[in-house]
Amino acid sequence: MSGALEVLNVQVFYNDVIEAVRDVSLTVGKGRIVALLGANGAGKSTLLKAISAVLYPEEGRLIHGSIRYDGVDLTARNADEIVAAGIVQVPEGRRLFETMTVEENLRLGGYALAAAELGEGLERVYAMFPRVREKRHAVAGLLSGGEQQMVAIGRALIGRPKLLILDEPSLGLAPQIVRDIFDIVKRLNAEEGLSILFVEQNARLALAVSEYAYIMENGRIVLDGPSADLAGNADIQEFYLGQAKGGERKSLRDLKHYKRRKRWLA
Amino acid sequence: MDYFANLVASGLIFGSLYGLIAIGFAVIYKTTGVVNFAQGEVMMFVLYFSWMVGTFVAAPLWLLLLIAIVVGGAFGALLERVFIRPMIGQSQFSIIMTTVGVAIVLRGLVPIFWGVESEPIDAPLKSQLYEFGPVMMLGDQIFALALFVAISAAAWAFFRFSRVGVAMRAAAHDETAALLMGINVRRLQGLSWMIASAVSGVAGVCYALIVARAPDMWQIGFQAFPAAILGGLDSPLGSAFGAVVVGIAASLSEGYIGYGLKEISGFVIIIAVLMVRPYGLFGEKELERV
Ligand SMILES: Nc1ncnc2c1ncn2[C@@H]1O[C@H](COP(=O)(O)OP(=O)(O)OP(=O)(O)O)[C@@H](O)[C@H]1O
Ligand SMILES: [Mg+2]
Repeated sequence: MSGALEVLNVQVFYNDVIEAVRDVSLTVGKGRIVALLGANGAGKSTLLKAISAVLYPEEGRLIHGSIRYDGVDLTARNADEIVAAGIVQVPEGRRLFETMTVEENLRLGGYALAAAELGEGLERVYAMFPRVREKRHAVAGLLSGGEQQMVAIGRALIGRPKLLILDEPSLGLAPQIVRDIFDIVKRLNAEEGLSILFVEQNARLALAVSEYAYIMENGRIVLDGPSADLAGNADIQEFYLGQAKGGERKSLRDLKHYKRRKRWLA
Repeated sequence: MDYFANLVASGLIFGSLYGLIAIGFAVIYKTTGVVNFAQGEVMMFVLYFSWMVGTFVAAPLWLLLLIAIVVGGAFGALLERVFIRPMIGQSQFSIIMTTVGVAIVLRGLVPIFWGVESEPIDAPLKSQLYEFGPVMMLGDQIFALALFVAISAAAWAFFRFSRVGVAMRAAAHDETAALLMGINVRRLQGLSWMIASAVSGVAGVCYALIVARAPDMWQIGFQAFPAAILGGLDSPLGSAFGAVVVGIAASLSEGYIGYGLKEISGFVIIIAVLMVRPYGLFGEKELERV
């Protein structure tokens, strides 16, 4: 599919023994905005790390499956090649280079760019986040959480990615800041056609922002569909949107009317 | 007073030799988090090898220096490729033990190929005497000092301003984040070994010029390592400064207290300093929000 990210039957192990993702398939079409939901430890971050080829520093390995983007197989590629292909990730917890200045962080985001492009990219990010421009000489580790998230997103946008991956951009931020961040994400999607794949714990927010959503549990995708449909789905309402009428939380997979996900043949 | 000044000058000169090795320690540690315990041995091997090549082409000093830089770079790349890269994913301890193994092998190889005799370099520089007030220095000593200052400044500027240098710092700080920036971290790690070994090659030439080449010259690592720790193992410029401190302290303690102290003075200083500043004098401390 042109311009689409296609993850097919991916399986990931840590330390060769812990299976964190099993047989996951997911698609992010060009210009789409897709959410990935799931409880803590479901394997969301692991899946995103597999896409960005940054499993190895944590002893993680993609054992099975493939990752394609724009029709090109990226499965065995290195992280820098993934970035060069236009897929850039803002990791969970932002992971700024805390002892460096904001501008040094942004320049690192444009590591592969020519000098002129880098200058243009910086200007574009500063125009998008005036607050970041104000703080550009500040040490990144001393910014507030919201400012740091803006730097992290700005850093990812410098090289004009085609697909932006965001792993829990709302982590630890005040509700108003979270709304601001998602407003920016939606605007990038609408105005620049940037494809977005994001992880978000707040299901209500995620389903409101996204067009399509996947729900992960214990390393698998247990449910997926257009976000509007999922928002109206009784199970989702019960388990993720907190509208249950009491009773303990069960796994979505235990439900009788659990819609079986179609499997891809790898 | 003259005695004191000359001891300081002599300490400065030896400090500059330690410093070049200490910069090597710091460059590799900063980028890869590995302490290369073979740094002194790499210096020795690169010097002997370059000397052999240099003799072959009857190289003058400047050319020998150039050969040492090229040989050093190539040898660093080789070491990283053959011994370190396959160890990625192993524990830090086993990687460090690998460097110790490399050190021991190099110590053994040098006398086998080039004999155990020590030999000085003959260069016109050596016979020129310069006086600075009470202090007298030889041309080769000033040459080594100047190279040390130039390389320290270059190392500092490289990590501070150059795109690759900043990326190396980033990779040391958070490898995953650096990868997500599109930085080819493995390539930079290889490059750091090349830079460190090339600088060690320069150190080897300076050492051979000031003292002589000898199969025990690797022992300079015992001064350079505490120097790097003292200055902050992740700070090339700090390590260079630490080396000057260690060099001067060694010279003074030997001059005033007695022979034998030179070897241990570096370690005495770091024990004292690290109790107060666990990151060394200039090491980057983890930043905490206040
Ligand atoms: N580096 C690692 N080594 C071993 N196991 C890991 C590692 N990282 C994650 N895991 C395990 O893999 C599983 C999936 O973790 P992952 O971080 O992908 O979950 P997540 O869905 O992102 O959770 P969260 O919402 O808490 O961020 C968990 O069981 C976790 O314990
Ligand atoms: Mg996560």
